[in-house]
Amino acid sequence: MKRCIAAFSLLLAACGGSSKTEVVVFAAASLTEPFQAIGTAFERTHPEIGIRFNFGPSDGLATQINDGAPAAVFASASERWMDAVAGKRGVRQREVFARNRLAIIVPASNPAHIASLSDVARTGVKVVVAARGVPAGDYARQVFAKAGISAEANIVSNEESVKGVVQKILLAEADAGIAYETDVSAAVSQRVRLIHIPDAENIAASYPIALVGSHASRSAADFIEYVMGEGQTVLRSLGFLPPS
Amino acid sequence: MKRARLPGIVFVAAAAGVAFVVLPLVALVIRAPWSNALHELSKSSVRTALIVSLEVSLGATALAFALGMPIALALSRSAFPGRAIVRGVVLLPLVLPPVVAGVALLSGLGRSGIIGDALHALGVSLPFTAGGAAVAAAFVSLPLLVLALEAGLSGVDTRLEDAALSLGASPWFALSRVTLPLMRPHIAAALVIAWARALGEFGATITFAGNLRGRTQTLPLAVFEVLQTDPAAATILSLLLVAVSLIALFSLRGRFLVQR
Repeated sequence: MKRCIAAFSLLLAACGGSSKTEVVVFAAASLTEPFQAIGTAFERTHPEIGIRFNFGPSDGLATQINDGAPAAVFASASERWMDAVAGKRGVRQREVFARNRLAIIVPASNPAHIASLSDVARTGVKVVVAARGVPAGDYARQVFAKAGISAEANIVSNEESVKGVVQKILLAEADAGIAYETDVSAAVSQRVRLIHIPDAENIAASYPIALVGSHASRSAADFIEYVMGEGQTVLRSLGFLPPS
Repeated sequence: MKRARLPGIVFVAAAAGVAFVVLPLVALVIRAPWSNALHELSKSSVRTALIVSLEVSLGATALAFALGMPIALALSRSAFPGRAIVRGVVLLPLVLPPVVAGVALLSGLGRSGIIGDALHALGVSLPFTAGGAAVAAAFVSLPLLVLALEAGLSGVDTRLEDAALSLGASPWFALSRVTLPLMRPHIAAALVIAWARALGEFGATITFAGNLRGRTQTLPLAVFEVLQTDPAAATILSLLLVAVSLIALFSLRGRFLVQR
């Protein structure tokens, strides 16, 4: 028994022995690809820091953070949910680090022959969007309103995150989805086609990033600086627009 | 005085185990914003989700029973080659992550699934429909139903069936007049346990049937959606589900799995 305990405490020591500072980053689902790449590059130049990501819909992340989740950095797909965290937990060094545009995505075979937003509102077209509250879901409805179409009756599913929208199109179960231009990544471009939405009907989604609470570490601030600096190249290469 | 049958430490450990289950549920009750409870529960979206949940879970139970009863009979009353494999495959959804079950259902029964075209020709389209939600829930509750029915069948004395057969009854007569009537309480228990599982289904449903209020948004999906923005309201909805599940389990009066 004693030997067991000794072995166990050794194991614990080995686990806790890592001298890396951990920075927990909560980031919008649409940031999955760029932030994973940025995180890897950041860890290479900052070997003393380890980045842990939690990707999800910004509304859910904001709620988790406001419930006490140990996030040091929050990167949101809309100002609305950064405001929510700012109001409850408080944020520092808040700035917009990227922007994005909305797009129509369809299965590669384009079964409903979608060419524009007006086609999305055609009777019988199965449309998938993100749920209200999820930034991509709210933006989708803004785009519909701006284009003067009512597609609500065509919606067959309100997904919990924009990645759910991409998944349903990837599996060709729905005819059209509203997602970000950046969602048609190299990994899915074989099976998902992107149809641009003209500027007049489109909106620019702003991505703010900030330190959460008042105790965020120096390392967390370093990560934000990196996103604003070197990280911009990664974001640009994956189709994100510059902050202004 | 009777001698203790178990060492005391077992009871301490068992109490810790019970606390492990009870504590989070009690926390739900404590954390719930009771002053808002009536307001939250009277929202039309909650009523809609409750109705969808009842329709979907009852449909799923019926489907699972239609498929599961013959499986349970075949597994417990005949010795065919590969029986162990069949049992393993049928029980697989029990341990499969529900999201994986949803993707599997899409690959099989979805619009671009391998029998999707055949279903389409029959005019059946499952994804994004209440029928699809019921299929997803049936898929994950089938194993529990088969397990419960098999447990029940093992409690039915096969000598009674043999007696009926030796007196000239046809297999169908023996099944419908001897086995099934003796099985009745076990069938009821199996149905309740399958229904409770179907009621709580989340991952396979949201993957296979999507999330649309009034059509495929069941209570668990509604809880998840509300949880993203309003955890307090989600607590109230969760308690509604806990209450329904408790009623279901109490109605079993310990019949499931406990055979004395």
